[in-house]
Amino acid sequence: MTEPFEPKITAFVCNWCTYAGADLTGTSRIKYQSNVRVLRLPCTGRIDFMLLAKAFARGADGIIISGCHPNDCHYTSGNYHARRRWMIYRNLMDFMGIDTGRITFSWVSAAEGAKWAELVNEVTTGIRAMGPYTEYKQLADAGVE
Amino acid sequence: MELNEKAKQLLETGDVKAVLGFEAGTQGGRRPAFARSAARAERLSFEGEQNLASYVTRKEVKRLGRVAVAARPPVLRALLQLMAERQVKEQDVLPLVQEADGQVRELATAQAMEEYLALSPQQIPAADRELMDKLAAMSQQERWAYWQDQLSRCIKCYACRSSCPMCYCEHCTMDCNRPQWVPVPSHALGNLEYHMTRAMHLAGRCVECGDCGRACPVGIPIHLLTFNAEESVHAQFGQRAGASAKLDYALSTFRPDDKETFIR
Amino acid sequence: MSRIGVFICHCGENIGGTVDCARVAEATRAVPGVVHSVDYKYMCSDPGQSMIKAAIAEHRLTGVVVAACSPRMHEPTFRNAVAEAGLNPYLCEMANLREHCSWVHEKGEPTTAKAIDLVRVMVEKVKRNQPLQPIQVPVTKRALVLGGGIAGIQAALDIANAGHPVVLVEKSPSIGGHMSQLSETFPTLDCSQCILTPRMVEAARHPNITLMTYAELESLSGFIGNFQATIRRKARQVDEKLCTGCGLCTTKCPNKKIPDAFNEGLSTRGAIYVPFPQAVPNKPVIDKLNCTFYKTGKCKLCEKLCPTGAIRFDQQDELVTLDVGAIVLATGFKLMGTDQFPEYGYGQYKDVIDGMQFERLASASGPTAGAMKRPSDGKPPETVVFVSCSGSRDRSKGVPYCSKICCMYTAKHAMLYKHKQHGGKAYVFYMDIRSCGKDYDEFVRRAIEEDDVAYIRGRVSRIYEQDGQLVVMGADTLQGGRPMVIKADMVVLATAVQSQEGSEALAQKLHVSYDPYHFFAEAHPKLKPVETNTAGIYLAGTCQAPRDIPETVAQASGAAAKVAALFAKSELTREPQVAVVNRQPPPVFSRCVGCFLCQSACAYQAIEQEQIKARDGSVIKTVARVNPGLCQGCGTCVATCRTKAIDIQGFSNEQIFAEIMTL
Repeated sequence: MTEPFEPKITAFVCNWCTYAGADLTGTSRIKYQSNVRVLRLPCTGRIDFMLLAKAFARGADGIIISGCHPNDCHYTSGNYHARRRWMIYRNLMDFMGIDTGRITFSWVSAAEGAKWAELVNEVTTGIRAMGPYTEYKQLADAGVE
Repeated sequence: MELNEKAKQLLETGDVKAVLGFEAGTQGGRRPAFARSAARAERLSFEGEQNLASYVTRKEVKRLGRVAVAARPPVLRALLQLMAERQVKEQDVLPLVQEADGQVRELATAQAMEEYLALSPQQIPAADRELMDKLAAMSQQERWAYWQDQLSRCIKCYACRSSCPMCYCEHCTMDCNRPQWVPVPSHALGNLEYHMTRAMHLAGRCVECGDCGRACPVGIPIHLLTFNAEESVHAQFGQRAGASAKLDYALSTFRPDDKETFIR
Repeated sequence: MSRIGVFICHCGENIGGTVDCARVAEATRAVPGVVHSVDYKYMCSDPGQSMIKAAIAEHRLTGVVVAACSPRMHEPTFRNAVAEAGLNPYLCEMANLREHCSWVHEKGEPTTAKAIDLVRVMVEKVKRNQPLQPIQVPVTKRALVLGGGIAGIQAALDIANAGHPVVLVEKSPSIGGHMSQLSETFPTLDCSQCILTPRMVEAARHPNITLMTYAELESLSGFIGNFQATIRRKARQVDEKLCTGCGLCTTKCPNKKIPDAFNEGLSTRGAIYVPFPQAVPNKPVIDKLNCTFYKTGKCKLCEKLCPTGAIRFDQQDELVTLDVGAIVLATGFKLMGTDQFPEYGYGQYKDVIDGMQFERLASASGPTAGAMKRPSDGKPPETVVFVSCSGSRDRSKGVPYCSKICCMYTAKHAMLYKHKQHGGKAYVFYMDIRSCGKDYDEFVRRAIEEDDVAYIRGRVSRIYEQDGQLVVMGADTLQGGRPMVIKADMVVLATAVQSQEGSEALAQKLHVSYDPYHFFAEAHPKLKPVETNTAGIYLAGTCQAPRDIPETVAQASGAAAKVAALFAKSELTREPQVAVVNRQPPPVFSRCVGCFLCQSACAYQAIEQEQIKARDGSVIKTVARVNPGLCQGCGTCVATCRTKAIDIQGFSNEQIFAEIMTL
């Protein structure tokens, strides 16, 4: 019997807001689904668009990217630059036929422990319903990885 | 006055050390040509498609000194963007444009170039617009299938990169192997990631000359990818590559009220 | 050759109860490059740390991963331990198995699998860590205190007494803040101004304190130890050097109808005014919005009368730029207005007042000289109702939190009323009585037992005016919810304590975090109550959360201690996780192509131009260079660079790439 599909979710979060918010989720003992793997970055401004492509190539079925709310960036403007980058990249990905529904961008502050849990649960459930991202995985498998 | 006469004049006075234009090719087409002497200048004309701005960043051309360049609007935009990115100095390049009456005009300053460009609005060719609209009307899966099919022909020859005036980086991100951002082989993943990366690196910098698509030996309309990135930037932020010699790069500037609909 | 040591902490049952730590250690042992992988109950304890140090020596480790709690918790602890063992502290990373794993997932196979993944990711990262040396940055030993209330005054005095210059900036014409408006303070009922004014005078006369009143922060740049603050000194229209404080102008000003904010609108003042008699500095200010001369061009009576000719109608605001090393935020609070209560009359009933208005009525220097007179007709109120929790603990008013001080000051108000109006009846409608401090509960009991204040446990649903009295409709929940209707002559609402006006804008100027109620955010709710997430900016007083005077003074001293610690050294050691532009041997010199697209992306102007020259002085190429003193390590430039010529130590491209590839 095949095991039920469990999605692999990779999350890129900023250290000062979302990572701290996720810490708060832990301190508050709010439970969420365990599929997500959080990668810590100093700021969403650090997130190169190529990292998202690499995550998919590595078999992620869904991606979460999250940082400080606009105006509250610890480094003043990193999230503004990130936002612009994501607007263009999302359009390009959609144009090339990549499933942008599998990528969730959000702002989660250090005080929003509950929001992080809600976000992860919603994304995980949603991706599970969408199924594995086979088109992208097939590309990766076809290559010498 | 035709380009070849202008070229002869400029070379004779020593105003420029070389003139870049076009000459007849060996198989009935047109090809870029450099003239460093009045004799060589005889064959030059404006007739040709390539964006000659891609030559002005080459070491061999820079070594020559000040060069004149046969320019259409995309070439002018490329030159301005290169000035904004400090790759070319205003005094090292002399664009020559062909007026409606056939006369050749010098645009010696960035300001002259900007004023000339302001007269003709920037537009992508109608055929490309049609194809982009057709793709936009497709579903996401159909677009995936379309691009996978198109990109399957890519052989990673990098002709697109060589032809692009904005791809001047000596050490391209494709050459980086620590880490290996994009796999080198021309398999499906390598092709997808290469073209995606190139389009993103050109967002806000692409002057929409279309040379990359023309250069592709297997006929992939990759210029549509950079057009998409550039049109996104223009539609959402109002900024345009090559609008001025002063840097206004969309992805390193921002407005606090940039509007999007997809961030939770 | 990597020799990585992995130390997995059980954290008692916190991790061990949900994650199979032994199995994580075993799985990690199989990862190439890992030479030592163990688990232990409490890694942060002394034996735990000793275990790490011993392993570094015994196994010649080149990197350490501690899989335990959040790095935001203990990264410095373990980096210190590792440094003591002789290994560069930046070769130590933490995997978060607690806040991000054991505390949020159920016990089982997927959770242990996730723990293994998280450890493997950090192993791959740490293999690519570079040893880094901290950056030394000079410290400007001058402090800036924003806010001249009791918190700001206390912090300024403590820092000044530690031997450092302080600039105290206050936006109103005098220091003193809300404490100067109070009549008597709980639990001792001593006169507020009597204990405050000596401090105010001390602050004004202290050789190390520079007072800038009627001034606000215009802008701030820089970073810890090296801030540049621009202060806008608003024009008083009075030359402070010539003014003697005689007060003649304030008594003679013909325009006397302006509501006096110090008396909370219960009296009026002139256009040229000193906020209160004990103001420091005791120099008047012209209220330009209401002054007849500024509105119509006629008057200038004060200028004619001034014996020293100190009035200056043409005085302009002055911008002063200061170099400071640390900033203390002490900007205080505001009270929710009575107009926020439709059920209590929208602030239209003159005799429904808030706590601060009551303080002014009770105060000997207030509009009624301390006599109990109600605002509408000046008659002494025979029956007064005090309503606790007006707005606080009420989600519908947007204030779910408790304002902390109201139970105490309501008891105090009731007592003061009874002391002044012996025959009067005082009622307090309350939800709970929160009197937690030293001598606090005894104080409330005095109000109930000795001063005969009637405490009714229930809320007030409506207040309306009828025949010159206020009908208060409440309930007594200790008597089964029995409706209570009281006809009162005056009602005092203990309205919610809220963040000061303009807090959000100030926080954004300083890049300090704030909570949804615009109170400034502390760096850690328990362990770092006086620091913010912005290094070099500290918090004191009610700008952080509602609190009473003893706590405010304690916190202000705490903030001052942090500043004094910062100033104890002449150089600050900064974290070296900064961006660096690639350099290579000739003929390439650098992958950087000198496009400077990164420069506009940097919020700290940390990217400069560098010319790489040949021996003969000719310029080979101009590339970017990062100023390590300014770079804050956000990495936005790294993501912007096309050629990947700029990278950030600690979160390098290779490291993040390796982390993704591990999953």
